[in-house]
Amino acid sequence: MSTSETEYLKGKASEDYKHGFYTDIETEKAPKGLTEDVVRYISHRKDEPEWLLNWRLKAFRHVRDRIDSGETIDWAHLDYEAPKFDEISYFSAPKDKASYDSLDDVPDEILETFERLGIPLEEQKALTGVAVDAVMDSVSVATTFKEKLKEKGVIFKSFGEAARDHPEIVREYMGTVVPYTDNLYAALNSAVFSDGSFVYVPEGVTCPMELSTYFRINEAGTGQFERTLIVAEPGAYVSYLEGCTAPMRKENQLHAAVVELIAHEDAEIKYSTIQNWYPGDPDTGEGGVYNLVTKRGLCKGDNSKISWTQLETGSAVTQKYPSVILAGDDSVGEFYSVAFTKGHQQADTGTKMQHIGKNTKSTIISKGISADVADNSYRGQVKVSKNADNARNFSQCDSMLLGPDCGAHTYPYIESNNPTAQIEHEATTSKVGDDQMFYCHQRGLGEEEALKLIVNGFCQEVLQELPMEFAVEAKELLDIELEGSVG
Amino acid sequence: MALLEIENLHVGVEGEDIHILKGVDLTLDTGDLHAIMGPNGSGKSTLASVIAGREEYEVLDGEIRYDGDDLLELEPEERAEEGIFLAFQYPVELPGVSMTNFLKEAVNAVREARGQDELSSAEFLQQMRERADMMGLDADLTKRSVNEGFSGGEKKRNEIFQLAMLEPRLAILDETDSGLDIDALKNVADGVNKLRDEDRGFLVITHYERILQYIVPDRIHVMMDGKVVRSGDKDLAQQLEEHGYEWIREEAAAAAA
Amino acid sequence: MSTALDTDVRPEDRFISAFEVNHGQALNGTNASIAQQREDAIERFSALGIPTNSLEAWKYTDISKIIDRPYALPLAPEVPSVDPSDIAPFTIDDMDAHRVVLVNGRVDPSLSDLGDLPSGVVVSSLTQAGDAHPDIVEAHYGQYADFEDEALTALNTAFVQDGAFVYVPSGTVVEKPIFFLHVTAGQEDLFLQPRHLFVVEDGAIARIVEAQHSLTDAHTFTNTVTETFVGERANLEHYLVQDEGPNASQVHTRAGQQKDDSVYSTNTVTFSGEVVRNNANIEADGSFCESNLYGLCIGKEDMHVDNHTQMNHVQPDCNSNELYKHVLNDESTAVFNGKVLVTRGSQRIDAYQQNDTIVLTHDANIYTKPELEIYADDVVCSHGATTGQVDEEGVFYLRSRGLSERRARILMLQAFCDEVLSEYKIDALRNHITEKIRQRFANYFS
Repeated sequence: MSTSETEYLKGKASEDYKHGFYTDIETEKAPKGLTEDVVRYISHRKDEPEWLLNWRLKAFRHVRDRIDSGETIDWAHLDYEAPKFDEISYFSAPKDKASYDSLDDVPDEILETFERLGIPLEEQKALTGVAVDAVMDSVSVATTFKEKLKEKGVIFKSFGEAARDHPEIVREYMGTVVPYTDNLYAALNSAVFSDGSFVYVPEGVTCPMELSTYFRINEAGTGQFERTLIVAEPGAYVSYLEGCTAPMRKENQLHAAVVELIAHEDAEIKYSTIQNWYPGDPDTGEGGVYNLVTKRGLCKGDNSKISWTQLETGSAVTQKYPSVILAGDDSVGEFYSVAFTKGHQQADTGTKMQHIGKNTKSTIISKGISADVADNSYRGQVKVSKNADNARNFSQCDSMLLGPDCGAHTYPYIESNNPTAQIEHEATTSKVGDDQMFYCHQRGLGEEEALKLIVNGFCQEVLQELPMEFAVEAKELLDIELEGSVG
Repeated sequence: MALLEIENLHVGVEGEDIHILKGVDLTLDTGDLHAIMGPNGSGKSTLASVIAGREEYEVLDGEIRYDGDDLLELEPEERAEEGIFLAFQYPVELPGVSMTNFLKEAVNAVREARGQDELSSAEFLQQMRERADMMGLDADLTKRSVNEGFSGGEKKRNEIFQLAMLEPRLAILDETDSGLDIDALKNVADGVNKLRDEDRGFLVITHYERILQYIVPDRIHVMMDGKVVRSGDKDLAQQLEEHGYEWIREEAAAAAA
Repeated sequence: MSTALDTDVRPEDRFISAFEVNHGQALNGTNASIAQQREDAIERFSALGIPTNSLEAWKYTDISKIIDRPYALPLAPEVPSVDPSDIAPFTIDDMDAHRVVLVNGRVDPSLSDLGDLPSGVVVSSLTQAGDAHPDIVEAHYGQYADFEDEALTALNTAFVQDGAFVYVPSGTVVEKPIFFLHVTAGQEDLFLQPRHLFVVEDGAIARIVEAQHSLTDAHTFTNTVTETFVGERANLEHYLVQDEGPNASQVHTRAGQQKDDSVYSTNTVTFSGEVVRNNANIEADGSFCESNLYGLCIGKEDMHVDNHTQMNHVQPDCNSNELYKHVLNDESTAVFNGKVLVTRGSQRIDAYQQNDTIVLTHDANIYTKPELEIYADDVVCSHGATTGQVDEEGVFYLRSRGLSERRARILMLQAFCDEVLSEYKIDALRNHITEKIRQRFANYFS
């Protein structure tokens, strides 16, 4: 990297986190700590059926044991202090209301919050072709275009509503892909999950619009524990996107979500994430969100397909491995990821592709970009079971280093127990070449434009997988990240 | 009118004790096309790089004036904006960056600097199609990543295509003919000839006389050991082809002695 | 002097009590610093314990059961009488070499044939070297094989007795390969811990070939540690042939350090073994080093082979190449865990790593984990891994040229191995390995 470039980038302000504001609304929080009373309180406030409370309590006892036994997760390439589970408030909702029946009930401050974030909740203002469920702290604020979706039989509502309205579907699927015993954070989520989204697409239906949930952590001292469940019946198709932001705070906030996807025969689920939680102070590393998320999809039926696409730019610590269990024959799993870390951010992210059915196929494209003193790791597993004849996997993991003080790491795990498997893994680590920069300069592009162009090109294979409506947003986010990203 | 004036140019490698150019003098008028020839290591490509502003090189002495102004003050992209174009000897690959995106950014950066309006997407695509056609470039190439997976010939033709898109006032071709087959050579030469006009100057750096059969230069300069040792008209190329560089070296040595 | 390991207690404790029982009389040990190191090592071993699957570095290889057998743990192993005819199958006679035969980790002069060594070159047992060249041994012994995180290296260091020693002085060229033939013999189930030290000083050139074979059906566990030093501008090729049979398990650790402008190449081939764990660690502690790590594993029956490599780039301007290939038949399992580390400031590193596997049966398994850990930005690092079957296109092509399907497949397997075999710079050794592989493949697909 040339000196002028470095100077230019240094000169850029780096505290450019646009979404760092806080909305002052009167809320009621659960008392700090993880107790049975808290779990009961959450369930009560959300007016949940008995079976769901019991499910939570089972998970609670399990996670309490794990926490009390001092369980930690130390195998990842991450260095942070484990969350203090008893100092977190596990529920925060606007006073009096733990859910809203219509948009008219939603306080103006909250509507304005989402407007400022670029997510208008009134349908006439909204992006056409995208239905949004907006979640602030523990509560779903509003879900747009519900009626239009209903015509097609598509159910898109907050998880809480779904548990009340469609208990038979929720009960059948929740916890089947990510059991509450799966890992510490999934167990925690299962006990205290607040809200989240539920999507059900009936047989043969192609969901007529993009579905999107926007998550916002607002209150201090709280965590976000949403739970998302998407079920695609045979032949159904749905594309879903989540976006995330949080205010700038000095303390760390915990985000421990669980996402479960189930694709039946011939169904396809496309799940995209633009994650821009507050990353902490770029100079000191103080504050920021711990993004510790369990995401897993089950290709249950033959010929089903699940595709994860993620752009991870935020959070102080990110640890997530959106995975696919390829149980159905001829099923397909895909993982496309861009993880950008700068400042003191750390990410350990990747995927798990578990080939069980015959003729299953998976593709992994991961692009990691690291700047400043950030650490960025790809960790991914490809596992081919004994009976998974003719499994195919292709993985490409590229890392780009912007500056001499950051780190980029690749840890793939390839496990094959079937001789017919064909697995290919490639990984590279490199920097933006001086010759590439000079070539761009010679064509009239300045430092900033050239760097953006090259980094965007590096991520192109992944960005092109995002739904069109969000690809532009993603590119802009990446551009903002690059401003002042190199020291 | 002089477009480019180089006077007593001495150049070394940044941070190292290497002296490559040892007093180059050269003047190029607008509308002219000059060829620079010379054996390996004579400093031809270094001269091209210094004009374009490559940072590895350090100007030790002398000056370069472009349109009468000091060129050495400017950053590489400012030189591009002022209308200097270098067709690279080894065009660089930019994985994932589409030709269309790249050129659109470049054309608009240059247009903005020249006080022209940005081209709309439609205008830009129209212009791109026309010029690709004019250069005999497969339109599919413009959909691919910049230079990625291009054959050697495609890369060189792509440089001339970019030259056509960016409409520079001074175009420098650094060994653009090297490694080309005869069809590609004609193609590149044809492209250059179409782009020659009153407002544009060309410096064509080459090892061989062959491209000069297709691009007829107004003047030829021979560089050796970091200096222009002889200049002449197009017939000089023929003499070089027949007799090699040795006689010039001997002459130069005799003159120096 | 032999302590049978009691199987009723924790395996760690058995080693620790064996250490205590023999305290003071162990080793050639008058050297205070080595004695202290032994104390530190047993303490470290006790703290670390025998590795289990829960450790990331041992995720796919479980030695805890195998190490938990009632082996005899001889401190000064008696060397059973071995007849030259016993070792005749292993001597690679076409390879004109300085040959040293070690039986149960001890040099057997009667079987060895050193020939004429260039002046100043020392090839001997480690014990002899400790007496004759204490300065060299002290300067290098224990410097490269770190036992801080490696329980088996700690264990070896605690019990260190004897092994092979090579010293090539500055500027000396050893033209013929130095060949160490390691054999295990005797009727007892043995736990052996040989310790080797190879020192190739500045500007010296040498080739070291090691081959491991067994003359016994008894169960053996060999915990080898080899330390290697390659000085400035020196060149060392280091070959290891492992073929100890189905009752032999081993953890084989090689730790090498190289200095400016040197070249260090290791090449490992594994033909048999019950559980074989190889740790090949290289630290390029100088600029403009070239490091090469090559390996082949020809898996059969239920053998389990784990090649664990660690390439540490701690200085700028170096390059490393790594290529490991597996052909897995029957119920065999191969593990490849290769790590390239580029530390902060080690700029302009060019590191390449590749692992390819052909799996021939439903019961064979491959676990591969190539890792990059990079802290410098001006580097070109890449790794690749493939697993699959014999290329059917290639088979079809050969059949269309008149080869039987079986011949075509065998030929394709041989071609697959050739990329590694071509890195053998000693013709006689390459031919020997190629022939062994050919014989192994000959009854495949029948």
